Amino acid sequence: MIKIGDEESSIEYFPSTEELPAVISNILEENEEVVASIKSDISDLKYGEDTLVLTNKRVLVVRDNNIIRNISLKEIESVEVNRYVGSLVLKAKTESGIKSLISYTRTRAKYFEKIIMLINDLTLNQIPYYIVRKHLKEQVEEINRKNSKRKILARMISFAKPFWHLMVATLALMMFSTIIGLLPPYLMKILIDQVLVPQKNFHLLMYIVLGLLSINLTLTILGVINGYLSLKLNQSLTYRIRKILFEKLQRLSLAFYDKYSTGSLISRIVDDVNRVQTFLTQSLGLIIIDITTIAFIGVILFSLSSWLSLIALIPIPVSYIGTTIYRKFSRRYYHRLWRKWSYVITVLTENITSNIVVKTFGKEKDMFKKFTRSLTEFIGMNFSVFKFEQKFWPAIGFSFTISSLLIWWIGGLKVLSGELSLGSLTAFTSYMWRFYQPINRLVNNLRVLQRATISGERIFEIIDADLEVKDEDDAQDFEFKGHIEYKKVWFTYDGIYYALRNVNLKVKPGEHIGIVGPSGSGKSTLVKLLLRLYEPQRGDILIDGVKINKIKLEAIKRQVAIVMQNPRLFSASIAENISLGKENVTLEEIITAAKAAKAHDFIMKLPEAYDTHVGLNGSRLSGGEKQRIAIAAAILKNPKILILDEPTSALDAITEEEVTEAIDNLTRGRTTFIIAHRLSTLRNVDKIIVMDRGGIVEEGTHEELMKKDGLYKKLYESQFKGFLKQQKKVEEIVAK
Amino acid sequence: MLQSRFVRETMTSIEEWIKQLRILDPKRVRVYEAFVDTVNMEINGKIYCNVKPRRPFPYTHPEYIIFFAEDDTELGILTDYRKLDRMSRKRLERVLKIIYYIPQIKRIIKLDTTKSRYEWEIETDKGVVVIKTWSRCTRWLPNGKLLIYDVDGNVYIVEDISKLDPKSRAYLDIVA
Repeated sequence: MIKIGDEESSIEYFPSTEELPAVISNILEENEEVVASIKSDISDLKYGEDTLVLTNKRVLVVRDNNIIRNISLKEIESVEVNRYVGSLVLKAKTESGIKSLISYTRTRAKYFEKIIMLINDLTLNQIPYYIVRKHLKEQVEEINRKNSKRKILARMISFAKPFWHLMVATLALMMFSTIIGLLPPYLMKILIDQVLVPQKNFHLLMYIVLGLLSINLTLTILGVINGYLSLKLNQSLTYRIRKILFEKLQRLSLAFYDKYSTGSLISRIVDDVNRVQTFLTQSLGLIIIDITTIAFIGVILFSLSSWLSLIALIPIPVSYIGTTIYRKFSRRYYHRLWRKWSYVITVLTENITSNIVVKTFGKEKDMFKKFTRSLTEFIGMNFSVFKFEQKFWPAIGFSFTISSLLIWWIGGLKVLSGELSLGSLTAFTSYMWRFYQPINRLVNNLRVLQRATISGERIFEIIDADLEVKDEDDAQDFEFKGHIEYKKVWFTYDGIYYALRNVNLKVKPGEHIGIVGPSGSGKSTLVKLLLRLYEPQRGDILIDGVKINKIKLEAIKRQVAIVMQNPRLFSASIAENISLGKENVTLEEIITAAKAAKAHDFIMKLPEAYDTHVGLNGSRLSGGEKQRIAIAAAILKNPKILILDEPTSALDAITEEEVTEAIDNLTRGRTTFIIAHRLSTLRNVDKIIVMDRGGIVEEGTHEELMKKDGLYKKLYESQFKGFLKQQKKVEEIVAK
Repeated sequence: MLQSRFVRETMTSIEEWIKQLRILDPKRVRVYEAFVDTVNMEINGKIYCNVKPRRPFPYTHPEYIIFFAEDDTELGILTDYRKLDRMSRKRLERVLKIIYYIPQIKRIIKLDTTKSRYEWEIETDKGVVVIKTWSRCTRWLPNGKLLIYDVDGNVYIVEDISKLDPKSRAYLDIVA
């Protein structure tokens, strides 16, 4: 059976012959090495497994131990993917045409991306095999090192290194409390055997009662101290891990954020950190203590009575098996319960958020029925969960009762026959319950360990992520003049599609460049590379003749500004958002920047003016207002290079006019890139570049481009079709 | 439409723009008369009637005032109105007190947390009042002051938390 999304069937680097289809080892030539192999989840139009094997000489595809494709790397120009509904087909471009290699579902796409990059490195990019091999070997070793479970556990524990004294102290206190906690049953045995049964030894009675009192007092005090130390350890540890993660997240490039969803990253910082922290501060100590306690009490029980000890062990396998089965099935029940509850919430949310639709279509009764039905289903599921639980817990509980009754029966007989003292029997039963407790807890904590290891892996995935964009050792910081050059720049986000293909562009200081082209033509990618949000795979970008990767990131951030279509504001006041552009800003500078950005008038009309809180991501402001605040921040930043990414496309005509005026103030004298869909906004730029499928296809002024019968003219005419028709009619009337 | 190629030759720095701001000399500003929310005043020897004073930073820099004429034309900026002569200042403050009606909380007498709302009984510089707020109703300002917004959007300010009595501070700990 094929498991969709099975992690174990991801790409294998340098697999052993046992891991490969048998046919492969028979055909490998001398000096031929298997670099990687990957299994698909579609074979012959059905779910099934084909295997793609990449060697240093060729690409092979194996189905049912038969080779169905065998193409030399020398023949392959590049590989690419065709994406369809529910499936993808990997194809090789060769001199003799395009050949399909293997098909797979979207679930496997992420694993195939790696092998595609690998094949393209060896073919399209012509990287020598020994370099690819060296890099790959290093990567594999690094992955193995990071993924070793033991290493992960050790690395998780290393988080607590600065707080080792707190960990030792809490562990010592817990251990001490456990040992003291074991004393009362033994004192009870002495009390029964030496005081109550013989009815003598008043002084001993007094000592025992005082002893029990002191034990309780000590345990209470130790509990309070331990609680404080544990809290301190918890908070320090959580603070440290979250700080490390947050610092790393801030340094990672946008390429990293493209791979992970916001929810996934937040869940790592919140939930996974909590799990690791719970394990390190609670479960780890409890595992050590429980193992010690079990051994300790085990010895006491066997020393009191070996027969009774054997009976006491009976419920343990019953409980273990029962709990394991319960966990397996309970997950399904609780998942169903969660689904039912989630449905109740969905219906409720739908009813509230789409209330206007419900009311205007007169669907109140239907929604009411839907809601009550969802509630009834949820209640029904609660009863099902109850019924299910009753199949397990009473039975497990009963096994403990049987064992305890057996102990009382056999123990009682032994007491009657004089083989065992009454005190020993009482002490035995008391210790017996203290024996079960750590066993149950140990089983639970081992699961916590399992979950914490998974969480640890997810945390280290962020911590170990490569900083794709970082300062080189010899990176320089200088004041930009604004001369920009793109030299044979190639860039791909996923290793499959090139968003930029061989881009060459020269921009003079202060020049205004308009960038146009259909959606997905690479306009935004072109400017994102200038901001060093990503690194190009090939080619160079130069600012004032210096390669961008030799310029300090800080210098770029300081002197290049971007104003986006939907600017993001911080949840702070308008003044604070404008001040983002400059440190130690004066009130006059804030007002001036807002005036230049045509924002001052609307800000002063707000009752709280510049102190107005903009809400989460500027939710209390309109699109045009947010845009003008972002422009004010950019004006304050005083950048040498400016990027405007469709700054007016989301605005109405009146607001657009105001924002355009603000933009005029901002762009004056600065090297400016303006990405625009509305070609009317670009009539006065110095040069327009037209992009299509990742490349620059046309270049020139509006007039020059209109004379050519190219893409720009088509785009222009499609936008002004109606207007041009009318103009033609007017011209005709005038001519008549 | 973007600026033509001729006028965008030189970059305008923020310093150059600042020069265009009309910063007023408090010695050349006099407030003659105060109405409910407007004043009659003299700026640089010229008389203006029904002038609207506004605070661009009402919480963080309440001393900063911009004057607007009746037709909303900006007349000038006074960076610190407290430097005006005593009578002008007094008249202006009277108007500002109504435009910026922000009671200052002196003591929190009672705080009930019922349902999703809080009900406060507070003693302010303008008297004792009972207000209702949502559970998220506070906003810390960069200068350490605390704003409290009620369900109707009225604003109350705590100028200095450390000057409140311990009971009021304990109440604030619940919400802020």
